[in-house]
Amino acid sequence: MSQTRKQLLIDPLVDNNPITLQVLGICSALAVTSSLNVAFVMSLAVIAVTGFSSLFISMLRNYIPNSIRIIVQMVIIASLVILVDQIIKAYAYEISKTLSVFVGLIITNCIVMGRAEAFAMKNTPVDSFIDGVGNGLGYGLLLMCVGVFRELFGSGSLFGITILDPVSNGGWYVPNGLLLLPPSAFFIIGFLIWGIRSWKKSQVEAREYKIQTLEVH
Amino acid sequence: MSNSNNIFVKFKNMPVDGMVKTIIVATTLCFICSMVVSFAAVNLKSKQDVNKALDKQKNILQVAGKYYDGVNIQETFSSFEPLIVDIENGKFTNKFDPLIFDDKKAAQDPLLSVALKDDPASIGRRANFVTIYLLKNNDGSLDKIILPVHGYGLWSTLYGFIALENNLNDIFGLQFYQHAETPGLGAEVDNPKWKAQWKGKKLNNEKGDLMIQVAKTSKNKDYHIDALAGATLTSNGVNNLVKFWMGKSGFKKFLKNLKSGEA
Amino acid sequence: MSIRSYFSSIEPHFEKGGKFQKYYPIFEMIETIFFTSNTVTKAAPHARSFVDMKRIMTYVVISTIPCVLWALYNTGFQTNSALSSLDIKEISGWRIHLLQLTGLGIDPTSLVSNVSHGLLYFLPIYITTLVAGGLCEVIFATVRGHEVNEGFLVSSMLFALTLPASTPLWQVALGIAFGVVVAKEVFGGTGKNFLNPALTGRAFLYFAYPAYMSGDSIWTPVDGFSGATSLGLSASEGYESLSNYGITWTDAFLGTIQGSLGETSTLAIAIGLCFLLLTKIANYRMIVGCLFGMIAFSSFLNWIGSDTNPMFSMPWYWHLVVGSYAFGLVFMVTEPVSGSHTNLGRYIYGGLIGFMVVMIRVLNPAFPEGMMLAILFGNIFAPLIDHFVVMANIKRRAIFNV
Repeated sequence: MSQTRKQLLIDPLVDNNPITLQVLGICSALAVTSSLNVAFVMSLAVIAVTGFSSLFISMLRNYIPNSIRIIVQMVIIASLVILVDQIIKAYAYEISKTLSVFVGLIITNCIVMGRAEAFAMKNTPVDSFIDGVGNGLGYGLLLMCVGVFRELFGSGSLFGITILDPVSNGGWYVPNGLLLLPPSAFFIIGFLIWGIRSWKKSQVEAREYKIQTLEVH
Repeated sequence: MSNSNNIFVKFKNMPVDGMVKTIIVATTLCFICSMVVSFAAVNLKSKQDVNKALDKQKNILQVAGKYYDGVNIQETFSSFEPLIVDIENGKFTNKFDPLIFDDKKAAQDPLLSVALKDDPASIGRRANFVTIYLLKNNDGSLDKIILPVHGYGLWSTLYGFIALENNLNDIFGLQFYQHAETPGLGAEVDNPKWKAQWKGKKLNNEKGDLMIQVAKTSKNKDYHIDALAGATLTSNGVNNLVKFWMGKSGFKKFLKNLKSGEA
Repeated sequence: MSIRSYFSSIEPHFEKGGKFQKYYPIFEMIETIFFTSNTVTKAAPHARSFVDMKRIMTYVVISTIPCVLWALYNTGFQTNSALSSLDIKEISGWRIHLLQLTGLGIDPTSLVSNVSHGLLYFLPIYITTLVAGGLCEVIFATVRGHEVNEGFLVSSMLFALTLPASTPLWQVALGIAFGVVVAKEVFGGTGKNFLNPALTGRAFLYFAYPAYMSGDSIWTPVDGFSGATSLGLSASEGYESLSNYGITWTDAFLGTIQGSLGETSTLAIAIGLCFLLLTKIANYRMIVGCLFGMIAFSSFLNWIGSDTNPMFSMPWYWHLVVGSYAFGLVFMVTEPVSGSHTNLGRYIYGGLIGFMVVMIRVLNPAFPEGMMLAILFGNIFAPLIDHFVVMANIKRRAIFNV
């Protein structure tokens, strides 16, 4: 794999993460991260959709008329999403019940459309596929980070396996109920963005205001 | 100019933003995509239906205490006999085939359900025909009976099953398979410790009055289940729905008939 | 060596270029305990007032004293009463051992016994708040290089007073840490917070550990004793039924009822209010707005009436004395940073909170107490309210000056 392709794959993980830097795809990140199993399947679904939609759109990019560009992208993405949804329903029924509409809503995930429009329309199929997978991985990575927090401290388990024995089963750990509610993902994503930007200073945005300085009187 | 593939060459040479090419691309794409989607939907349908059925069967096994890791759901479930009950007269009916009868649809069908005036469980309409399950011993005698219940909690309708012992008065268990109550409070209806309380409680007293109750405090331990801490409204919802379905507008008549052998 | 010259002698080490430059905020924090700071900021919250931040914060802490005293007495009183009514022979716990060892006993009729028992509950909570919250505050001050602010003393006191006496101490620490970090420090510290830190911490605990923050068994820290708050009783059975439980309006006003540490006595809170109004720390417009909103909307609901929801018929003078309405009104609504800054905006801001309290208490089935959520809601809207008030002013003046 050439250097640039490696870059395409790895860049979206931290340096150009679709969630923490571009702040896209937050909606589903809130909804599906209360358990890792679900977050994992959702990540796979998004990786598949971003990867293949970028691939197909890039293959067709020279034939897509500009006037119906967005519609064509939508049709391809939507078909892939339905395909993924049907497969999950057939092979992972339990998880599909928790994911419910959120697999369908991958269609509206800005990451998928964003990559299709910004990258796949201008680049070769292989590059686009790698870029799509990379962005899906970046999304998935963040989903898993949030999921680890929420499931471990919210239910005391990881992938459904009890790690911290909760009080309700006679253990010692008092689960944090806030983490089972979707808004908690806002805090966690916020903290993650904070952490990443403290680590990678280049991601910090310029201030839009000036803080008053102290004055000796 | 070769004649053999001129149609593709022609297509390729068309202006990308021209009307003809736009239409061709749009039509072809729609056709291919719809083929892919319908192919997937049709081929996976049978598998999805099996999943759906298995999921319901699993819930029934769970409430009857027959579920454990690695159990063959379909095989175990074959010992359960699904039957349709006519709630109004409290008897079994063979108007419908229990294998294809859809309870949720029946509850919405004006011909098969009634609008409730007195509606403590807040369900709006109640089906006149409900699928129940009998679990029989090897000798054919009744072991357990599983009755579906549902009603409104705090945020959502709770759907579940209640399992009764063969005396039709002692509760074996209660299990909800679908709800959206507050995690940590109302969702504790799924807590095994709380569910374990139901086992051995009685529905009616000797006189036949419905006594079962979910409440904070009560005198008679035989009929009393402790409410969930901090989830008054979900507890009230569970109390109401159990009382409703076990009461006069629910299965009371049927249970009485079944006991006396008239069902 | 005088204290001043001691501080002056070590000050160079902490200034720019000194050995301990990083720890200047800690030096500054300790120095200003003894001396007034010689710097002022030009930014909020006191740019619009002549009193400085230290005085505001000190006055607010002073105004909570009646509440604290009552919290001590009532917590001890409720606990002692519960213990004697349950008639438990073998009572355990270090507090009771200590009380019996010192001969104070657990007598609900004895003022000293009540107050000391209450103190044994209040002090651990308060000290935990100070230590945990203070730690976060100092860490941030050190890293960010701003001052440790007296505002924290207010937040910690108010936070401690909003908790039930039975709150586990680790939850106290977690709650205040969340409040200080998420509601205040991430936005740049005191004066830049758009939410009330104490309430944010309280709301965090409410959603994270609901079983410890709501229900009937938590208000009095005695195992096996259950007593609902007057608000909880009103929500389930109607306020008229309170008399069946021996709660009269006067009880609720004086505060001999179940509830969080500092919220029970409307009288003690009213004394604090008088102090805050006399010293002009609290802005009366917010109070007026909030009272008006509450009275108007609850009267409106009284007039509509409901067969199924007993809270509809609760009159405003009951809304005032039960739950945390009074406490929130006096100490949280009036908080200058997170509230509106324009005078007209203050009326609207107060009114919105008053309306929301009744709305949540009466019409929301899940949360019997609405004050916390209503104030946080108001906090979020305060900048918007200010924006529209300012815009309206600009528009009006533009018309006059054509």
